[in-house]
Amino acid sequence: MADSLSPPGIDVPSPILSARLHELAGFLGAPTAGRLTEEQRALSLGIARRLVGDIAEELGSETDAAALWRDWLASGIPGADRLAGACFARAEEHRWREQSAQRLGATAPLADDEAVVVTPEVAAGASDAADRAYLALQIADRRRFDAYGHPALPLADIDRELLRALLLDIAAWRLVREDKDGTLASNLGEAVRAAVSRQDAATGIDRAATDYHAALAAPSAVAEAAAAAIVRQDWPALIALAAAAAQRSYADTALALLSAEAAALPILLAPLRLDRAAIAPLEASLAMLPARAVGGGA
Amino acid sequence: MSERLIRGRIDRSGGLVSADTPLLRLQQRAGSGLNKPLALPHLARLVALAQRLQRDISRPLYAADDHSDVHAVVRVIPDAEGASIEISDWRTRPIAVPQAPAATDNVAPQGWSWECDQQLRMVALRRGAEAPFVPENWEARSLSELFELQPDAEGRFPVLQALARQSRFTGQRVRAEGPGDRISMTLSADALFDATGRFTGFRGIAALDEAEEDEPAASMPTDPVFGSLPLSDPQFGRRIDGALRGPLSRIIATAETISGQFDGPIRADYARYAGDIAHAGRHLLGLVDDLADLQNIERPGFKAAADEIDLGDLARRAVGLLGMKAEEKGIRIDAPRVDDKMPATGEFRRVLQVLLNLLGNAIRYSPDNSQIWIRVDRDGDRAMVTVADQGQGISSEQQAVVFEKFERLGRTDSGGSGLGLYIARRLARAMDGELTVESAPGQGARFTLSLPARDV
Repeated sequence: MADSLSPPGIDVPSPILSARLHELAGFLGAPTAGRLTEEQRALSLGIARRLVGDIAEELGSETDAAALWRDWLASGIPGADRLAGACFARAEEHRWREQSAQRLGATAPLADDEAVVVTPEVAAGASDAADRAYLALQIADRRRFDAYGHPALPLADIDRELLRALLLDIAAWRLVREDKDGTLASNLGEAVRAAVSRQDAATGIDRAATDYHAALAAPSAVAEAAAAAIVRQDWPALIALAAAAAQRSYADTALALLSAEAAALPILLAPLRLDRAAIAPLEASLAMLPARAVGGGA
Repeated sequence: MSERLIRGRIDRSGGLVSADTPLLRLQQRAGSGLNKPLALPHLARLVALAQRLQRDISRPLYAADDHSDVHAVVRVIPDAEGASIEISDWRTRPIAVPQAPAATDNVAPQGWSWECDQQLRMVALRRGAEAPFVPENWEARSLSELFELQPDAEGRFPVLQALARQSRFTGQRVRAEGPGDRISMTLSADALFDATGRFTGFRGIAALDEAEEDEPAASMPTDPVFGSLPLSDPQFGRRIDGALRGPLSRIIATAETISGQFDGPIRADYARYAGDIAHAGRHLLGLVDDLADLQNIERPGFKAAADEIDLGDLARRAVGLLGMKAEEKGIRIDAPRVDDKMPATGEFRRVLQVLLNLLGNAIRYSPDNSQIWIRVDRDGDRAMVTVADQGQGISSEQQAVVFEKFERLGRTDSGGSGLGLYIARRLARAMDGELTVESAPGQGARFTLSLPARDV
């Protein structure tokens, strides 16, 4: 479409001009649709960069991830369509959790009396298995951040085909850049296979969610845990339970919740058998998140 | 603002009758005001304590209003009509956002960021950009298992105190698995809470400590007391320190966790037993400290620094540190007044160590509800500080051996290692000073530390 809009007399449009015309064409195609905010772009791009860096590391520490990213920024990231879904879901979930935490900050309790010794609560009725499964879920969730608290996508959490495609693209980039005598190709091929089998063995957030749901066993326990997660604004636990109950992936469930109209929430969460009243804090929290990809772009 | 002194006045009934603006504003934000009860619980407790003890108290103050934490140092001066409050070093900082995922922006490139749940089980451990490694199999392990907690100068563990108070902490020294040997790190973290106000754990960083300087290896003479035991070998000292301190610290930390019932209520007698274990562990740790000190001061070429010090100031600091312990036995300490100065030359921390030993002994061996005097004096070119008690006293035979290694004058309780006075005298002599005792049975004891006086 960009080509068809190119002004006459310019044989090869510059990449920037091409991208802008492409963007404009998209805008003209749906002028009232909400567009990505700068924050959403930045978060998604950051997640993609960390993912590409992590995958590059899988192919050996000698991969120059910084140079790779510079090249890809200039030429476009391969497999962008598939990458977009994963990065956007993670970015939107992060935005929601961050907003929720910031709102909590204003009412956070502060210990200012050194003599008060408070015994931490032990979750009433929580079985050992459920406790361990919840701990594993927390661990899987915290793997979705880097050391600085920025959102990330661990390799265990991404689609196998996306991982394979990115590994092959990075390997191809290295071959073009470095392969002088033909020996690198077989080494990289081996590294790609090893990385894919490591992912097969790894347990990510989806497996942790399923285990947590299974450990709660009784439907009433699941409902209780989900209701408690809403009250505590423990959104990862809620998404995990909803995903496992509906047999969907964590990322899909997160994106479904974040892009749902309020009226659709009870339907989405129906497998959890929650009261309508229990969902109210969730509705309120989502309603306060600006620029959600919902309806007319609330 | 931190340079200014903020004053306030409390009447006998605990009401705030006058206050400078920052204090008044804090009181108002807490829902109270002038001529109304002090609404800042931490400050109110300190005022009550000072009035009960009828003694000046200086403590860190932690308070909070609706948008910031307040950290300051407060001095409470009780009198017959109530108490005066002087607050210095007033600092405010924004409230830490709970569950904010980016609370670890200050991770050093070589450091780690970490998170644990309310039972101190690790849920995250990530390396900074240039950190070569993190320990394997950290998932769900106890924080105190992954990191060997080291006590601070007062034998406490900041992380356990923070757990009890559900508040942030800094300066928790630890040792952790390194690529080869174990490495020293310092932990700090914010407390995390969920939307119901329930404490959910800590999120913080682990910063790599500066590499410790290697002491020069030297061939040592055989120790006259330990014979062939290589106590004076620096390598042995370091090994004993490393081999004992870690397990002991872990025993103390675990026993304190049980004693504090952090993982939930347990039977009171079990909690008490755990408290006894922690107490015994601290005693053993004190012995390790003494042995490490002994190894250090007995090495050839050991020198103390020649700081410009004031014995009056150091005596007051020692009283500040041990005042509460004396209070537990109803012992009154008559310390030098603020204007009692005695300039001298010696190493600040070593002199404080000696004074803490002398005052600690005096408190330990004095009867309940007795009195201890600390006086500073000058005799020619010697500056002196004397600690006198009303204990059972020391006979002339005992005085001859009281400064010997492991000499406890026949005592068998768990009070000390018998190395304290030996170390104290060695330190005094390393500073060109002396430590002497005068006593008679039934008449208490007077220990005098003399150091080179300094003219100002």
